[in-house]
Amino acid sequence: MTTQSIASWQDVAVRYPYHREAAVGPVSMAIRPGERLSLLGPSGSGKSTLLQTLTGIIPQSIDADVVGAVSLFGQGAGARTPAQWASHVAQLFQNPEQMLCGMTVADEVAFALENQGLAATEIGCRVAAALDRVGFPPDQRNRRTMTLSGGEKQLVALAAMLAQHAPLLVVDEPTAHLAPAVASRLRGLLLASRQASRGVLIVDHRHDGMLEMIDRVIAIGADGTVIGSGAPREFFRRCHARLASNGIWVPLAVALDAALIDAGLILDQAPLTISEAMAAIAALDDRRRTIAHDVAGSFAARQLAAAHRSRAEAEIVVALSGVDCAPLFGPVILRDVALVLNRGETVAILGRNGAGKTTLGAALAGLLRLRLGRRSGPMGSICFQNPESQFVAGSVREELATPVADHNLAEWGLAGLGDRHPLELSQGQKRRLALASVMGGKNLPLLVLDEPTAGLDAAGRLLLRRRVEGLAEQGSTIALITHDLDFALATCHRAVIVGEGRVLADGPIVPLVHDQKLLARAGLDEPPVITLLRALQC
Amino acid sequence: MLSRLHPLPKLVLCCLWLVAAMLIFDAEFQLATIILAAAALVLLDGRSPLLVVALMVPFALFGFGFLTTSILFRQESDFALHMAERAPFGGAAFSAGLVLFLRAIACGMVSALFVLTTDPGALVKAMMVSWHLPPRIGYSLFSALHLTRDLASEAHEMRLARAIRRGRPPRRIPGPLETVSLVVPLLAFAIRRASRLAIAMEARGLGAARRRTVTGAPEMQWRDLLFTAAAATVLAAAIYGVPFSNTLSKIVSTCLKW
Repeated sequence: MTTQSIASWQDVAVRYPYHREAAVGPVSMAIRPGERLSLLGPSGSGKSTLLQTLTGIIPQSIDADVVGAVSLFGQGAGARTPAQWASHVAQLFQNPEQMLCGMTVADEVAFALENQGLAATEIGCRVAAALDRVGFPPDQRNRRTMTLSGGEKQLVALAAMLAQHAPLLVVDEPTAHLAPAVASRLRGLLLASRQASRGVLIVDHRHDGMLEMIDRVIAIGADGTVIGSGAPREFFRRCHARLASNGIWVPLAVALDAALIDAGLILDQAPLTISEAMAAIAALDDRRRTIAHDVAGSFAARQLAAAHRSRAEAEIVVALSGVDCAPLFGPVILRDVALVLNRGETVAILGRNGAGKTTLGAALAGLLRLRLGRRSGPMGSICFQNPESQFVAGSVREELATPVADHNLAEWGLAGLGDRHPLELSQGQKRRLALASVMGGKNLPLLVLDEPTAGLDAAGRLLLRRRVEGLAEQGSTIALITHDLDFALATCHRAVIVGEGRVLADGPIVPLVHDQKLLARAGLDEPPVITLLRALQC
Repeated sequence: MLSRLHPLPKLVLCCLWLVAAMLIFDAEFQLATIILAAAALVLLDGRSPLLVVALMVPFALFGFGFLTTSILFRQESDFALHMAERAPFGGAAFSAGLVLFLRAIACGMVSALFVLTTDPGALVKAMMVSWHLPPRIGYSLFSALHLTRDLASEAHEMRLARAIRRGRPPRRIPGPLETVSLVVPLLAFAIRRASRLAIAMEARGLGAARRRTVTGAPEMQWRDLLFTAAAATVLAAAIYGVPFSNTLSKIVSTCLKW
């Protein structure tokens, strides 16, 4: 593509065996030395597939037809094996479980360096430096990785990647399962210090808090081809509508910017964060500032419409009293829980990784034997954090097990995939299928959704939001376990915040997420819409 | 203390002891093995005596099968009866059964001693450094350790997913039919996990260089030599304390008769 690029794809298209259509492509793009490039796209658009062609994992380890040319550091990707490219390309996968092989923390970070045959002293220094950088305490470095929480595992995986000192970092949805505070720390570690020769390629559905550090964005459409690229400010303002129509996430500040443009106000510089937008609004003259405040106020009100609307009825659906609960084979992590969920209520369960949200969800659904206390209410359904655990059938259509399966598939954006095996789908498509299989059932008195937005694109989130609202209107009670505060605010009236081995707070969601001390205790960050409200109130 | 020893001499000694326990058909030797292993766990490794007794239970249940078979089905236990010519505990059938019973516990306790006092990571690393175990096999063993734990939670989630479909909570302990129905999905899960991990390891450079560094592998120290010498002496003394030559000749003659 260009002689200066460290990695490039030239008209690359990938087709998996027994599939008629290409999973991605044809795509042409390149990464320059020192560039931080973000790749956006809807579920199933082939982002992960494209990454796997970079070092030849596709087609050398995973069988597929690849057309076009993939180059790395001036050589064809096929010139070396994927293992031989490890000294040039360090990769971080979405799920650290896929990456960690059951050793101690220090061993895990040393693994790639040992594979390169570096001297033991050099490895020791690099391991210590990388773990210091991610803030992993020295007395924890001999722990087995299988005993770590999800957030800790991802930090170890990040340290392992940083220790490689590779000139190209490739990161696939690194924060999908992380609590906001850990996620922002991870993004900072990944992008904060710019190195002249190191390129970074990030694939994600959402880039909250890191767009300011990104140099260029490339978006792939649902058909697997590039729909646009550019510097984030210019790109999001120019392509906002196109991205939205392709089901691709745009930052809240960009949506606010679009609302201001619709009202005839064009800020000098396209904002990437709410703080930037409010600073730009503050610099306007009095008349335009008043209009901008009105627009921003109604924009924020639209975002929080669901949070201010309670559908809870008087009838109690499920109640926990004096409950101690523990995960399978694990110690008690939540004590003395007293919780009541009413009919028609949608409740967000929030907290840091490992706080016990999933355990509480299983206890609410009646699918976990309580160590102490009492639960009353009908058995609920759960949509698991790992969508693969949900699948029990041999095809997507059988998974839905309803007479109107094809209609449901189309509704969830899975039309044409009915005959595929569920495990052949992309991560985002698996998530949609898992949600469709659980939410498609009739008579759902209680539904627990565990991290339903992880790996889901903007279109999927919108669809999920509508389904949640629809079920709540029919009287279902929904407990939504999530790290995605924007989504919680868009769907829930009430929140339960867990941490420190107990329920820290329970009440209407908006006042709770205004409480910065409480958010810090629970490992949560203030969502952008609350930042907007706070700025408007000043 | 036992946990700080180099895993390889410990492994060799435990294997030798297991072979001796298999070959020496003598209740006193088996009893001595059980007592020594239990004492080592309690006194040298600081394990609770209750835990040690609890550890013997599954091996005792297994050994109990030999005891009952020996007493109730003498014809099938012909080989054991020939071996147990001495019958210090009453009838020949009972004595033979008792030796088999004790042998099951002795072998179990020697294995437990090794497993409880050895860090699997250190063992695999030591094997890669000293015995040139290929890294691909070594790291497969690491992954298998990881997977064993994940299989249990995956099986639990699968049971929950099915229970949700049925609309009633899962039974506390899965029945035979449910257990059988979980085998294939769990196998598929294990294969899926293993292939993903293999790809991740490849992406991190496993197998790229001809020479691979192994950091943090245990090194042989004086205490390992002392332990090896002491344990070998105890084993020799235990063997010397039983009519080993008689046992060997009995094995040979029985095999010839068969």
